Amino acid sequence: MTEDDAPTVRRSAGEFGGAPARSSDDVVEATSADGDDASRDDPGGSDSGDRKDGSGSDQDPADETGNGATGDSAEEAGDHAAGDSAEEAGDHATGDRPAGATTVEASRLSSTDHWLGIAAVTFLTAGLGVLTQSRPLFLAAVVGVGYLAYANATEAPEPSLAVTRAVTDPNPEPGDRVGVRVTVTNAGDGVLPDLRIVDHVPDALAAVDGPARTATALRPGASVTFAYTVLARRGEFTFDGLDVVARNVSGSRERALELRTEPTTITCLPPLDATETVPLHGLTSPYTGRVSTDSAGEGVEFASLREYQHGDALSRIDWNRYARDGDLATMEFREERMATVVVLVELRKAAYLQAGPDGPHAVDRSIEATRRLFNSLIDTGDRVGVATLAPDDVWQAPGAGPTHQAEVRNLLATHPTLSPTPPSDRVYVPGYLRTFLHRLADDAQVVFVSPVPDRTSEYVARAIHVRDHPVTVISPDSTRTDTPGRTLAAAERSNRLASLRESGLRVVDWDPEESLAEALARGRRRWSG
Amino acid sequence: MTGVEIVRRPARRSLLVPAVAGTAATTLVAAGSSAGALLCALGTVVLLAGVASARHGLVDGGGLVAFLGIVFAATNGATAGPVVFGTTATVVAWDAGGNAISIGRQLGNRVDSTRVEVVHAVAGAAVGLVTALVGLMLFRVGPTRQPVTTLFVLLLAAVLLVAALNR
Repeated sequence: MTEDDAPTVRRSAGEFGGAPARSSDDVVEATSADGDDASRDDPGGSDSGDRKDGSGSDQDPADETGNGATGDSAEEAGDHAAGDSAEEAGDHATGDRPAGATTVEASRLSSTDHWLGIAAVTFLTAGLGVLTQSRPLFLAAVVGVGYLAYANATEAPEPSLAVTRAVTDPNPEPGDRVGVRVTVTNAGDGVLPDLRIVDHVPDALAAVDGPARTATALRPGASVTFAYTVLARRGEFTFDGLDVVARNVSGSRERALELRTEPTTITCLPPLDATETVPLHGLTSPYTGRVSTDSAGEGVEFASLREYQHGDALSRIDWNRYARDGDLATMEFREERMATVVVLVELRKAAYLQAGPDGPHAVDRSIEATRRLFNSLIDTGDRVGVATLAPDDVWQAPGAGPTHQAEVRNLLATHPTLSPTPPSDRVYVPGYLRTFLHRLADDAQVVFVSPVPDRTSEYVARAIHVRDHPVTVISPDSTRTDTPGRTLAAAERSNRLASLRESGLRVVDWDPEESLAEALARGRRRWSG
Repeated sequence: MTGVEIVRRPARRSLLVPAVAGTAATTLVAAGSSAGALLCALGTVVLLAGVASARHGLVDGGGLVAFLGIVFAATNGATAGPVVFGTTATVVAWDAGGNAISIGRQLGNRVDSTRVEVVHAVAGAAVGLVTALVGLMLFRVGPTRQPVTTLFVLLLAAVLLVAALNR
């Protein structure tokens, strides 16, 4: 049994649970713990990378496990099982988890090799002292033996920590700076002479001010607080983990822990804003709306004249003509109907493109566009749904009304599929299209929001279009032309867009420099011309 | 969006303890042998360079060179006091340097690690000083010749016992 096999031990914060400075109005109540943080990218210096880097440089884990470590950890594990789990059961029974309780997810005990050379130097010195009959040198070797004892006398402590986290604003607007304060309390009985703490900042957030990490020494009951600032972006983010490295006082042994803490969530919903009206195709539903159709009937814009039939409304009779010729004729107008639109956002891995390290991200812009399109279409009375072309597909059937609007707004802001991290799985496109087309109502048209990164996107747009669901492609442009390769990629993309246009699809090429409204206006001029 | 870059090196103030300890070692050795002091100073400089650039190899090398300076002084007639305390100071400098690098690599240079580094340095220095004082006392008080070897062997036995119990 190795350390990793040790039963997960829940540490109670004990009497120190309430100790960390925690002002109740400051602290966000735990909302949800998703428990999935399989891959943890660097939020401005990788946490996991960190540990590897740090420990890798200071020790060689492989050779450790070969030596004493295994024996040690077996013992440790046994200790855990015997002592703490009994306590834990008690804890469970009362159902009383103190504030800031943490769970140990993973624990690894290792040697740091910090004092590795000291033994050799000590013995060499002693030998030299004997050879040269130099008593001072021999005394120096005695000092070396003292350090040898110091290095080997203690084991890395087993920290029992209570962690509380407070954020300044649990519901920030995108772009807001949110302060995070983490208080870590030593809830155990032993002194922690060397404690290094790295907070798990959610993948997509970046710590913009102050590192999300600290180092300190804590006596029992003492706590340390560190603060950092993250830049909020659209989505729901949970802070629920902490990496801890605890060393003994000499720094010869260390214990690396991954703690799960009470989750703290920030939810960042973008504001409700619409763009100018979205140009739509003529395919519409039978309900009155705003899209002018070619069918004649009730409406505003003149369409044609026809012979009067009994029962036509008096207001629609062309009285000028009657005055001139004496014939009765009825004016017909272009009917304005409601459209059913599904906004399909491409979130395949290939769509995660960024124009340079600081450039706008294609997926961010796609989702931004989706939100604006949705809001403006809803405002103009159309029925709008949202779908994603992604491994975990999202489908919100077309609808109208405030509830639908709120649902979609929430979905666009917080759904994990729409998070800024690329998916790991691939999309099986033919299968996806089958499902998608099956769901699509006969009179629905599709606005396909995609950077059109490859031929697959082109294929998807075309496949939907040829099945009588007119497609408008809104394509955020993430290409650059600073290297020959990138120029080629840009040219290929513009060829794909051109070929889509030739097939009768409407394509809006959305440059990063211009707003969506400008791009749409430009697109509309092209179509009406 | 780019966040804070983490510079994986010790902070500037982490140089303080190794610098002070290294200087102390050099000064102590200078009383006995100027060549030894020179070696000691050279070792300290290399050690500090190692801390500044976060390279364990340089710190180890620097510490060893500084200690060789002390050995040189000891074999050239330096008295027990400077040698023993010089050794302690060198070990403290080397230990603090290595510790600073590990903190720098794990946490970056923007973390305030003063507290943890001070605790580490003070503990290390205390161990060295106590051993040195005990050794010196026995050296001065006890009968000639025998006790130092005996002390060494006894201490070694204690260390082995502790290590064995720990395993």
